[in-house]
Amino acid sequence: MSKQKANLSTALRVILLLKRYLPLIILSVILAAASVILSLYVPVLFGEAIDNIISKGKVNFEIIGKTLVTAAIISAASAIASWLMTTINNRITFLTVRDIRDMAFKKIERLPLKYIDSYATGELTSRVISDVDQFADGLLLGFSQFFTGIVTIVTTLAFMFTISWKITLVAVILTPLSLFVARFISQSTYNLFKKQSEIRGEQTALIDEMIGNQKVVLAYNYVDDSRDRFLKINAELEKTSRKAIFLSSLVNPSTRFVNAIVYAAVGLMGALSVVSGTVTVGSLSAILNYANQYTKPFNEISGVITELANALACASRMFELLDAEVEPSDDGNKELNEISGNVELKNVSFSYVPERKLIEGFNLKVTPGQRIAIVGPTGCGKTTLINLLMRFYDVTSGEILVEGNDIKDITRESLRRGYGMVLQETWLKSGTIKDNICMGKPNATEEEIIAAAKATHAHSFIKRLPHGYDTVIGEEGGNLSQGQKQLLCITRVMLCQPPMLILDEATSSIDTKTEIRVQRAFEKLMKGKTSFVVAHRLSTIMTADVILVMRDGNIIEQGSHQELMEKGGFYSELYNSQFKH
Amino acid sequence: MRKLLKYFNGYKIEALCAPFFKIIEAIFELFVPFVVAAIIDKGIPSGDKGYITAMCGVLVLLGAVGLTSTLAAQYFAAKSAVGFATSLRQALFDHIQSLGFAEIDRTGTSTLITRLTSDLNQVQTGVNLTLRLLMRSPFIVFGAMIMAFTIDVQAALVFVVVIPLLSVVVFGIMLACIPLYSKVQARLDKVLSITRENLTGARVIRAFCKEDEETAEFTSRNEALTRIQQFVGRISAIMNPVTVVIVNLGIIALIYIGALKVETGLLTQGMVIALYNYMSQILVELVKLANLIINITKSLACAKRIEKVLEITPEMADGTITKGNDSSEYIAEYKNVSFKYPDASADSLENISFILKRGENVGIIGSTGCGKSTLVNLLPRFYDTTEGEVLVDGVNVKDYSQVALRDKIGFVMQKTVLFKGSIKDNLRWGKEDATEEEMIKALTQAQAIDFVTAKPEGLDYKIEQNARNLSGGQAQRLSIARALVKRPEILVLDDSSSALDYATDAKLRASIRELDYSPAVLVVSQRVASVMHCDKIIVLEDGLMAGMGTHDELLKSCEEYREIYDSQIKS
Repeated sequence: MSKQKANLSTALRVILLLKRYLPLIILSVILAAASVILSLYVPVLFGEAIDNIISKGKVNFEIIGKTLVTAAIISAASAIASWLMTTINNRITFLTVRDIRDMAFKKIERLPLKYIDSYATGELTSRVISDVDQFADGLLLGFSQFFTGIVTIVTTLAFMFTISWKITLVAVILTPLSLFVARFISQSTYNLFKKQSEIRGEQTALIDEMIGNQKVVLAYNYVDDSRDRFLKINAELEKTSRKAIFLSSLVNPSTRFVNAIVYAAVGLMGALSVVSGTVTVGSLSAILNYANQYTKPFNEISGVITELANALACASRMFELLDAEVEPSDDGNKELNEISGNVELKNVSFSYVPERKLIEGFNLKVTPGQRIAIVGPTGCGKTTLINLLMRFYDVTSGEILVEGNDIKDITRESLRRGYGMVLQETWLKSGTIKDNICMGKPNATEEEIIAAAKATHAHSFIKRLPHGYDTVIGEEGGNLSQGQKQLLCITRVMLCQPPMLILDEATSSIDTKTEIRVQRAFEKLMKGKTSFVVAHRLSTIMTADVILVMRDGNIIEQGSHQELMEKGGFYSELYNSQFKH
Repeated sequence: MRKLLKYFNGYKIEALCAPFFKIIEAIFELFVPFVVAAIIDKGIPSGDKGYITAMCGVLVLLGAVGLTSTLAAQYFAAKSAVGFATSLRQALFDHIQSLGFAEIDRTGTSTLITRLTSDLNQVQTGVNLTLRLLMRSPFIVFGAMIMAFTIDVQAALVFVVVIPLLSVVVFGIMLACIPLYSKVQARLDKVLSITRENLTGARVIRAFCKEDEETAEFTSRNEALTRIQQFVGRISAIMNPVTVVIVNLGIIALIYIGALKVETGLLTQGMVIALYNYMSQILVELVKLANLIINITKSLACAKRIEKVLEITPEMADGTITKGNDSSEYIAEYKNVSFKYPDASADSLENISFILKRGENVGIIGSTGCGKSTLVNLLPRFYDTTEGEVLVDGVNVKDYSQVALRDKIGFVMQKTVLFKGSIKDNLRWGKEDATEEEMIKALTQAQAIDFVTAKPEGLDYKIEQNARNLSGGQAQRLSIARALVKRPEILVLDDSSSALDYATDAKLRASIRELDYSPAVLVVSQRVASVMHCDKIIVLEDGLMAGMGTHDELLKSCEEYREIYDSQIKS
């Protein structure tokens, strides 16, 4: 019940979305009715013409000629109406879809990171792409087939009734038979198809594992075993597929057979009526024509209904994204232009979920040029601090001050411009190397770009790329190595020279030489700047002014290397296990 | 496609029966307008109700016979299409499994998987449709024309004009739309990629305050997509109305010609109606045919891709020797080995020679891309050397049967791979009949026993696909245990402790040194700490051996080693 209600409200919202195209929709409906009615009138005219061809010497050319000319004109008019209708439907659908996508994307740009983090990327992407696409398909089908289908059924019946109500009755009673047959067959194939897709899923999983990891399969001499497993599953698939495909291919011939019966019955009734003089031969041929057409919209409409239900489901997922709450507005907040690097955390508490407290009552005062190292075992929540400093997430209580201003009172843009950020997962956008480097400073000159790249030792590999700085890199950085990507990310920040830095040292395997370069680039970048470094390297940690030791999301120790070693706590334990050999 | 035809073996008769029965059905369908004409010309004028009823009975009978033969056709088509696809799929799977590392590298696993799954399914659909429809639609179209000729030659000429005209419109529009549809897809992909990028890069984009620019870019890509969609929509919308008009004009011409002929007594009214009915049948079949042809084209492309995979021949010839020379002094020896990947411009390894004694621990270190993994991959003959030879137990690896050679070696790969199934299932990859004690022992040695026993199911814990339900370190230790269950003569650890923390890594190294069957061990690593205690360390630099010796010796003599050491340990 509540699901129906939800469906209804989704449907209402879809209608609201379409409201602005109301004149077009009305026009489309009128054109649909016109094209259907006109096209159905053509067989009637053909029937009339045929009625005037009786036998040798009894042909009325005058009427035939007139009727045929009329038929040609009407047929052309119907065609034009139908083309216009389809074009209008396309327009309504594609424009609506465009609007939805635009809205969705604008939404994404303003969603809190909390929302983005809590969904898999693929899931949100599919809402913007495939859900919207399926919604469009449903909408288009709904427009073009649902309405024309209904008009076709009604008009056909009306025309048939005007010719002969008895024959019409036969057609009306018998036709649903084909629907029953179709439904019966598709119901019985449903389970087979479900089973087929299950087996196929299993088979694909096996293929994924065995072919995807063939090197392991070879290394462990597993080829014969995997072959046997595949053989078994393949045989099972054959059995099910054969049945499913055969059964499902029965729908068409069976309905055709039912239609043949309808055709014969209508023919019989019709011919007998012609004999008794209530119907003409031409009308009989028109009715025979209709009897064939009359069933088609039924099949189409039942298809449209499933499609529409699917479209509604997609629409509701779409709306879910469109309804998500955006970040609180920045309006009226102060623009912070002069940042020298004073950062203070006052009594900061934070947790992602209320049940699990993370940081509590944390205090830290950072003066310009200081280096803060954040250390701890993997997965201890070192990135949480980055999230708070950049205001990707808001603190639960307490405040973070930059130059004495609560960061909630300044615009996000001016806060974020104050920071240069290099994360461990090196994100590059698809575009040229240059595009990526100038991300923070779009108007940078060629010289500035090259100077920045030289400073980070990225220049030497960039100039060896096929098109140098204009080389296009694909999504996720394309063919660049992890180290090269990292260097680009550092260069990107180097170019902007922001007063504060947030750096996340990579743990992943970079080869030694690049690693040394990255290291040097980091050092150069940090010179004279306030920097927060998620640190893995001993040298970074030892030279830090303050070390924050994190464990399970909490900051458990804080102090210089010397102080923490003397304390003999978790840090000293960590230090001894990781760096001493 | 021709080479794939042999997979019809065992289904040949079915594959021929399917179109045969389809044609029978089509013939019966073509009789229908004739029967109707008879009703109108004979039954109605004479008022013979018995005749009319009988003829309508014939219509039902034609339908029934048609149904029966279609059922037969569908059955044979389904059986042979599925049978064909099944044998092809098995053959393809077996063929892919017979490929070696070199061929897999060249083709790429994701490609191979696509060939086996979606391409094969498309081929099955294509075969099924071809068997069912390829004969039927043209048969009905031309059958209708031939029937028209039997009625009246002049009227039939209308068919001669209409059929090509319709074909041009139907095929023309469909062909025009295919490239446009791929354009639509390409633009949709662009919209997709910017959406994905803005989700994965949300932090960076916000850090650089690029939201507005990205939105503008999205809007323009979205607009471009909408434009092409509307354009394609307008073109494809032409087909239906135009074809209907052509058919209607054809009917008009038929009726007019019919009228002239009836006037002179050459035709009857029923015949005119029959001609009219034949004309109506053509359009549906032509549209079906056009769709079918698109489908078949797609399937043929898939079939070609499959064929290409089947054409790949494994370049490695298997050897025959199953037992090494036990009296050989060294368990393994590399003699002046060079290796070059196909298509690579330079050698990955150049003139490497070293020996591995029984029970010895040898470490291999160097930066990424220096050839460390390549070097150990030559031992189980994953690749063949370009020059020089690799000996195991004094026998060239090329002379061994690959199964026997790989039985001697426990190889832990850089990329951890576990399979869906229980921990036991996974460990059995190492030794098929391993007992529970053997498994526990291997797990203990691999430092994995703690987390395995912590699971309520213990050894029966089900690992999900891609080991999703294990941490990277856990998976890595299990993959080491899998190699240890084997009790191999040579254990190769290819950078296989990268996900372990230093303490666990240290414990693992200690436990491997103490294995009771003391295998020879080759350890590949980027970490000095992982190899510094080895009996011998090989330092690779750009495929060349930059040094070989103990830790202390290398610190003194090898600059590359010292550089690595400095960057990692001494700060």
